[in-house]
Amino acid sequence: MLRLSFALALFIFSSSVAEGGDPLWSMGKAKINGEKRVEIDRKKFTDQIKKSDTITIDAWILPENLKQSGPARILTFSKNTSERNFTLGQDGDKIEVRLRTSRGGPNGTPALATKTGSLKKEWTHIVFTRAPDGKSQISLNGKLAASKSLPGDFSNWNDDFTFQIGDETGGKRPWKGEIRSLAVFAGPGAISEARSKPKPVKKVDPNVHLFETQVTTILSQHCLECHDSSTAKGDLDLSKRSEAHTEDGVLIAGNAVDSLLWESIESDEMPHKRPALSAEEKTKIKSWIDGGADWTIDFIDPAIYGRPVEAARQRVARLTRDEYIATVRDTFGVNISAEAEEWLPAEIRADGFSNTAYNLTVDLAHVEAYSRLAEVIVEQLDVAAFAKRFSKLRDLTDKTMIPLIGEMGKWVLRGPLKKPETALFRGISTSVASAGGDFDEAIGTVIEGMVQSPRFTYRIEEDEGERAQVNGYDMASRLSYILWGSSPDKDLYQVAERGGLYDDKSISVQADRMLKDDRAKQRSLEFVSDWLHLERLENMQPSTEKFPDWNAELAAAMREETLIFFNEIVWKKKEPLAALLNANFSFLTPELAEHYNVETSLKNGMQRVNFSEGSSRGGLLTQGSILTVGGDNASMVTRGLFVLDDLLRGVIKAPPPCVDTTPVPSKPGSTQRAIAMERVESKSCGGCHSKFEPLAFGLERFDGLGRYVEIDEFGNALREDGEVLFPGDAKAIPFSSISELMDLLAGSPRVKETLTWKLTQWAVGRPLNAYDADVVRAIHESATKAGGRYTDVMTAIVKSDLVRYFPDRLDPISSN
Amino acid sequence: MKNSPLSRRTLLRGLGGVAVGLPIMEEMIPTTVWGAAKNPGDVPVRAFNVFFGLGIPTPVQPDAFHGVLEPLSPLKDQLLVIRGVDQTRCDRSGSNAHFDGASGAFTASAPDGEARSGGASIDQLVRRSHYPKGLPAGMVPTLVGGTFFRRSRVGRYVHSYNPDGTVASTIQEKPRDLFERVFGNIRAGEGSDERRERLKRSVLDSVVDQYRFYTGPNSPLGHDSKERFKDHLDRVREYEQRAFAVEIADPRAPGMPPRSNLKHGGAADPGGEGIDITLEELRKEWRLMADLYALSIQMDRARFGSITFLAAGERIRLQGDYHYDGRLIHSFDDSAQLGGSGAKGCSHEWWHKFNEKNKNEELRAHAHMKMNEVAYFLNRLHEGDENREANGKSVLENSMITISTESGDGRHSDVKRELSGVFHAITGAGGRFKTGQVIDTSAEGIDIYNTMLGAMQVGERLGPKDRKHRRYDAMMA
Repeated sequence: MLRLSFALALFIFSSSVAEGGDPLWSMGKAKINGEKRVEIDRKKFTDQIKKSDTITIDAWILPENLKQSGPARILTFSKNTSERNFTLGQDGDKIEVRLRTSRGGPNGTPALATKTGSLKKEWTHIVFTRAPDGKSQISLNGKLAASKSLPGDFSNWNDDFTFQIGDETGGKRPWKGEIRSLAVFAGPGAISEARSKPKPVKKVDPNVHLFETQVTTILSQHCLECHDSSTAKGDLDLSKRSEAHTEDGVLIAGNAVDSLLWESIESDEMPHKRPALSAEEKTKIKSWIDGGADWTIDFIDPAIYGRPVEAARQRVARLTRDEYIATVRDTFGVNISAEAEEWLPAEIRADGFSNTAYNLTVDLAHVEAYSRLAEVIVEQLDVAAFAKRFSKLRDLTDKTMIPLIGEMGKWVLRGPLKKPETALFRGISTSVASAGGDFDEAIGTVIEGMVQSPRFTYRIEEDEGERAQVNGYDMASRLSYILWGSSPDKDLYQVAERGGLYDDKSISVQADRMLKDDRAKQRSLEFVSDWLHLERLENMQPSTEKFPDWNAELAAAMREETLIFFNEIVWKKKEPLAALLNANFSFLTPELAEHYNVETSLKNGMQRVNFSEGSSRGGLLTQGSILTVGGDNASMVTRGLFVLDDLLRGVIKAPPPCVDTTPVPSKPGSTQRAIAMERVESKSCGGCHSKFEPLAFGLERFDGLGRYVEIDEFGNALREDGEVLFPGDAKAIPFSSISELMDLLAGSPRVKETLTWKLTQWAVGRPLNAYDADVVRAIHESATKAGGRYTDVMTAIVKSDLVRYFPDRLDPISSN
Repeated sequence: MKNSPLSRRTLLRGLGGVAVGLPIMEEMIPTTVWGAAKNPGDVPVRAFNVFFGLGIPTPVQPDAFHGVLEPLSPLKDQLLVIRGVDQTRCDRSGSNAHFDGASGAFTASAPDGEARSGGASIDQLVRRSHYPKGLPAGMVPTLVGGTFFRRSRVGRYVHSYNPDGTVASTIQEKPRDLFERVFGNIRAGEGSDERRERLKRSVLDSVVDQYRFYTGPNSPLGHDSKERFKDHLDRVREYEQRAFAVEIADPRAPGMPPRSNLKHGGAADPGGEGIDITLEELRKEWRLMADLYALSIQMDRARFGSITFLAAGERIRLQGDYHYDGRLIHSFDDSAQLGGSGAKGCSHEWWHKFNEKNKNEELRAHAHMKMNEVAYFLNRLHEGDENREANGKSVLENSMITISTESGDGRHSDVKRELSGVFHAITGAGGRFKTGQVIDTSAEGIDIYNTMLGAMQVGERLGPKDRKHRRYDAMMA
């Protein structure tokens, strides 16, 4: 069957007969010599075209000669030689398209034709597009060959006509030549959109699918807390195939009843002292074991598999405050940051970032702010000059305003307007006119409407269907918001309109260009700020008794230190991201250096300071912006969790509700490490605490505000040795100094992979899960191969399926 | 379709249900209308323009109150029909006769750009002359309303203009908006004016429309995104209520009319391609608009302004049976009867196809229907005790009400023919003008209007200062 959500009609020629089939792209070809009638759902086809007010016809042809005319029908949807919905034809050495609209004649005239001599006797890729505003064009082999306006709409299309290849209905206009493919789309008019192809379907065995999407999640959520590689209670490791499948009787493939895993789950013996599995979860485990207990991955990483797959659903994303400010700046050239920061509520972090789409909710304050900001934008804007970018005419007639609104809307709202949208904004201008307003007031008021439109304040995409490629305009937006945090520029739109955002090479070219722009740098700083939650520093209020020297300037200096350090590594030195962990320099003000107990000769301002080999300073984790996460008492719990979550992508459950989580202060004879060790060694707490508190041991010599001290306020000697357990590993790796720990982290594949995951999550604005794992692995491999730098990771992200395609919507339950 | 006029009680019941049981109507009308008079026999000066789109081709205009004018026959004693009025001076090169003729109605001048007329409309000159210092406090200086869809140029639907050609007041195109304009005050923030606030609200209306689309049955969004947008829509509505709440300033006002279900704003004019509408939908909205407009006059909230029933060059594809006086006049189905869709299927095409040698049944039916709706409005100012004024005449009889349109042809093939013979009808204006007749003339509209201004004791005249005014005595009582 034809996939109507993707292409309305698609004909692939692998033999001598045209067939409408599943849109697997093929470059076979068929020799055409006269009429071939095609059966499609003509009503549905016609309705879709009418609804979208847009048509794209894509054809790969080789004409037999350059004499056939009429035009000779390559593809036609018509009744006879004088009545048609459309015809793609050859007229000598020209290509001609006839398209029926409500403003034209029943024969689809006036036609749009390329110039004499434009068609050669060679394989030619023809793309005809017609946008809702009437703008129509033909491209031949990627080059614009003809354009004109074909106004009106498709309301007068007739679904009784015949769909035919190679001749007119009833004959008399035969076309001879070869065709590789023909496709008709109702999508927006990006030329090469017609060339986009859906992501291939991955054939997965149902039991494997059950394991990868359900069983892994159940095991992560209920079993791995005690039965992972490091804890392995009862010597049972359920995180690895090599361990789980070899344990006698734990898993007997094809026989759940005799498997110990099922027995203990079914009887609610396990999970121990935790809620039992639900009936549905039990059924899935039983079904999986009975189905063969397939186990296709090396290691069940709770960071990947612990999250329910439902969280991956695609949502519209509201522009964050930063994105809104940047979008207004790049769309209108005005700066409303002061007002926006005052009026728009700050974003709330979720899943580690403040741009997580599901959490970008809307409040009355947003609506009020959007309304007020709309006025500010127009007040600051030279409306007349802005309008002139889209039309030189300055009157309020339909003839001027409709195209003007169409062009302006395409720029402001990041893609072509549909006809009802143009009419809606046109309505605003007529309201102004009928209230006695002039052209400038009308345009200004239309802009006020546009910037409050959901298409401005949200990122809304044309849903092309499951696994379909994101269309050109939306791909331009994805690229620009990921790399710049703002709307696309003119160049990006032009490339999108030419169909240049559908392949690796062209996306790479754009990514390279965009990553050289200052906006990319600014965007990366927003990432690091969000990832490390640097905004937190503004609100810190440490004990004045304990830290009398703390002040806002010091907090600001810590934030700046991290941002400038990041900028130096990423943009100036262009080093791999892992260098962030152990680079032996930083940027300090004299006050911050003094606070850190770093001896320098700094006079004023932020300056680079190099640390000696083996120094206790060097790398993100030794900077005040990170060290302060532990609070006044330099909590091992908080610091350890930070390292586990933000560098190692480890997963730990929240403490049981009855546990007293009040920080325990140090005292004579008892350091924070000693207090932590009590928890680590405790039978009830150690299972979890052993996985994260030791990660902070290497930071023990930094106090709550990041000062380096070797003896605490109670005279206790502090240490810097310890051991680090990387998630998935069974054994911890020892280190003897802070710099050794930093080198260990910088060299860890797990840390490098986590940096890629964090950037990817931030780029797509949603938590990642099992469905994304393969793609993120591919991103990481590609980025690592390219050098592991920020630019390498971002390029790999924007080229990945995660950005270029709509997700697979297989329902993991029903697919079984 | 039920075709009986709404009584006042029915009107109140129709006003959204809230007004049911309002006890004020009986004392409200006489108090306000008579209260405006200083003494018995003294009634306020009022001037209103009533516009209907597309016009009546001259050959179709009968010489008496029958044919397409049949619906006006119950009011024939209150009306003077003037056939053959010449508006050719309103022709402007570069714009079509729909627009030129519509701009010329009540102004006798060619349009000045797409949003301005060439000069004042007669209602405004009367207002300025009789109320040089403004109308009494609390009144709407000029009330402009209408039921229309085509909106490419302002002159198509606004029919009250200041002397500099700018619109005299923002047009209210939804009954509820007109209600709020008459009976309520929009809260304007410090430093902002009410006109601007109303425009801002219309912008917000467009935002609401977009969110409604994205949350409606044709939304392209998935469930989660739709839910997010529903939240957003709720917040927008909350904001609308808080920021633009209308305070009902007149305690005697009836309940809030229901929200309009018809297309308005840009959606009502999709690129000139026209909209589908049933006679029932059209009539329901128009009659509520007409009721409210008439009520505004009866309550002395408005003395000047204009009301439009369908814009010049209106494009609708009308459907439904049209009955008058118990007879089926016509079954409207423009698109099917014209055999076209989009603009080609609109009733507008009957005017383009007009040929005096043919029966022109569809055009006649449309024109008849329009006269019926104009008559409905006029009757709202005439029938019943609530319209009796101190001098014993009705509001309709005491007011200067001018009914006109855009064209006397519609074929766009001959400007002179098109802008000649433009239908006009006027009321007696307190006994100043003849009524009960259909008269033929070849006089220019400018002379007709200036004669009316003279009769209304207005010193100013339309047209160039050096133009010699030709008084049209045939219309004088």
